Amino acid sequence: MSKRSNAGQDKTGHDGTPDAGRRNFLKGATIASAAALSAPVAANTAVSGFPEQRPKAAVKAALPGPKLAAADAMPPPADPVNQTSSGGDFMVDVLKTLDIDYLAMNCASSFRGLHEALINHGGNSKPEIITCPHEEIAVHVGQGYAKMEGKPMAMICHGVVGLQHASMAMYNAWCDRVPVIVMGGNIMEANKRAPGAEWPHSAIDPAALTRDFVKWDDQPVSLQHFAESAVRAYKIATTPPMAPVMLSLDAELQENPIENRDGLRIPKLTKAIPPQGDDAALAELAGMLVAAENPVIICDRMARTQAGMPRLVELAETLQCAVIDNFGRMNFPSRHPLNQSFRRSILSQADVILAMEVNELWGTLSDFHDRIARSSQPRYKKTAKIVTLGTRGLYMKANYQDLGRYQEVDLDIAGDAEASLPVLIEQVKRRIDESRKSAIEARGKKLAAAKLATIEQAKSDATIGWDATPITTARLCAELYNQIKDEDWSLVGTSIRLSWPHRLWNFDKPHQWNGVAGGGGVGYTLPASLGAALANKRHGRLTVAIGGDGDFMFVPSTLWTAAHHRIPLLYIVHNNRAYHQEYMYLQAMAARHGRGITDADIGTTIKDPFVDYATIAKGFGVYGEGPINDPNDLGPALKRAVAVVKSGQPALLDVVMDQR
Amino acid sequence: MVQMMIRHLATRPGTMRAIAAASVLGAIFGVSGVARAEDAPTGDPANGKRLYLADGCFECHGRAGQGGTFNYATPALAQIALPVDSFIAFLREAPNDMPSFSSTVLSDKDAADIHAFLQSLPGPRPAKDIPLLNQ
Repeated sequence: MSKRSNAGQDKTGHDGTPDAGRRNFLKGATIASAAALSAPVAANTAVSGFPEQRPKAAVKAALPGPKLAAADAMPPPADPVNQTSSGGDFMVDVLKTLDIDYLAMNCASSFRGLHEALINHGGNSKPEIITCPHEEIAVHVGQGYAKMEGKPMAMICHGVVGLQHASMAMYNAWCDRVPVIVMGGNIMEANKRAPGAEWPHSAIDPAALTRDFVKWDDQPVSLQHFAESAVRAYKIATTPPMAPVMLSLDAELQENPIENRDGLRIPKLTKAIPPQGDDAALAELAGMLVAAENPVIICDRMARTQAGMPRLVELAETLQCAVIDNFGRMNFPSRHPLNQSFRRSILSQADVILAMEVNELWGTLSDFHDRIARSSQPRYKKTAKIVTLGTRGLYMKANYQDLGRYQEVDLDIAGDAEASLPVLIEQVKRRIDESRKSAIEARGKKLAAAKLATIEQAKSDATIGWDATPITTARLCAELYNQIKDEDWSLVGTSIRLSWPHRLWNFDKPHQWNGVAGGGGVGYTLPASLGAALANKRHGRLTVAIGGDGDFMFVPSTLWTAAHHRIPLLYIVHNNRAYHQEYMYLQAMAARHGRGITDADIGTTIKDPFVDYATIAKGFGVYGEGPINDPNDLGPALKRAVAVVKSGQPALLDVVMDQR
Repeated sequence: MVQMMIRHLATRPGTMRAIAAASVLGAIFGVSGVARAEDAPTGDPANGKRLYLADGCFECHGRAGQGGTFNYATPALAQIALPVDSFIAFLREAPNDMPSFSSTVLSDKDAADIHAFLQSLPGPRPAKDIPLLNQ
């Protein structure tokens, strides 16, 4: 299978002839070395740590010294030292056919073959390497990118240990149903592994580690196998329900010469058409929705493309029914009169509930009480008919329990909600006759009035503590919106159950929101926001994110990637100096026991010392400002930071916050 | 906010029992079971502030009593309208995910001080006066 297995025996080039290039390579290396010895000391390379770029022509101009000339006269080594192609080159060709724009990675020897080919065969373009200081960052960048751009990125990680670093982010992407093309290096043949690190960094089945949270994986044993598996992986990852996939790449396959390039074929990618709900079932659903007095639509990861939101708006407006958004994607305009996301009590009056691509329906439809004896009650009335439309249940795994509790429903339509909406809308319109029009119109007016009241309530609530220090989350969000509202903005991350933007801001474009982590794995917000910002960069959008300080602490080096690749992103650290969710949980535990209610800060807060996030940012080459304590300083600081981002650079603001 | 608190109370039979018991005691002592705020003993808002921060109330309800977010929205408490007796009863046997605070860790006096602090906090003001909230 591998060339390394023939080392010492095969002295031919990839075409079966003696490798003529090898001697030329030796000569070239000799001349280059001589040139290096005879050249003046390069300017200041000791200080910069990086050599100056060498003029390529200089290599030919120099002459060998006597020692090197003698070395050149030595008999050639018995094994080949030069090659004119590599499996990595072909792998790059395959990736190019898949139109993959970026590949995120932290460099590692187990994929050095592909790495070199990406640069020197692929020209570091499609995919372009995004250098990340941690594999978890690389996968999260891909997760945020895919949700914004609507297509996957690739990432590659080191054998075993790199994949272990990547695994939590892969789990987040899995739970979020987001495609990421994950690859990992490996050395499959034991007799080829060098002593030392190559042994603990190799595995018989590397993907086993992540098999519970990828949709598909493979370990190709030939280049043709790779081509077919890479195309298959892309197709599987991007077919709803979408999810990460994993390819383990043998180092020999990447590095060794291609034996017969003409015999290799890259298969054509034909994307699968997303599965649509059954026509008869959609017609039945349409009948239920039209006949209902108080239908309610719940959506979560519904909008898969830019077409999703307008389709949902058309359905809701046709029915003049309430929409509750669980914010998994940018599903529905925040200020639309039918958006009742902050009036979930209306579920108790619903007679038909349509849940589209809802991640955890039982949790949405139940009041759950986290008490010594845990209990719950449904939020809907017993007579309500519940219908699900989505792909959530079409691909499930057993071990990790991102399932949610089993929810009884009356009609379960398997199919991609966004793809099914045109048929559903048509069926609904066909069924609305004059007798229903007035009732539907009246319902819409009531909902619109309630929506206005909800907005006014949000504004009123936001005034409490308006001038307080630490700064309230409402004040921060109002100040931020003031700075970006006239731009083509995109809010791509909040890791802190932050509802204020959706209560106060006018989200009305598909790219203005892209959901949350999925699996709740901490360390998502900063790198995933950067991935979304990478996607937004080409569209000229102003990308902003508000992330928790605890989340930031997991992956601060993401900022280096932002600076290195000049990815414009305004990142606000919502610095409440705590792992606040856990702080509240611990307080509840202490109160439950009737002891130590003043000690819940132990192990849950980030103090003594406080972290200076602006200085950290500067250390990574990113504009940083803060800590900002006075709410009156926020506006000017945001204005300065927005200017930095609009100039094409990342910026970070450290804002000392009250809880959330 | 009061409606929210009462809604919480109404969902918790034990709490309703506590309020009912307080009402009976109130009848015995000739006062309303759910006392009006102006009838309650005056707490010490300065000590209440200290306790509000030390005992972790701010974690869910905000240092300015503005409310916040746990696994759901947590209510604002600034300008609390719930009478102090009801407030104490609520703390002793809190509904839903709200922790219950026994007298072992929070005396009635301390709870009354917290109540006084919450009453002293500025509540909402007209949003129309803040331009940033009208865009």
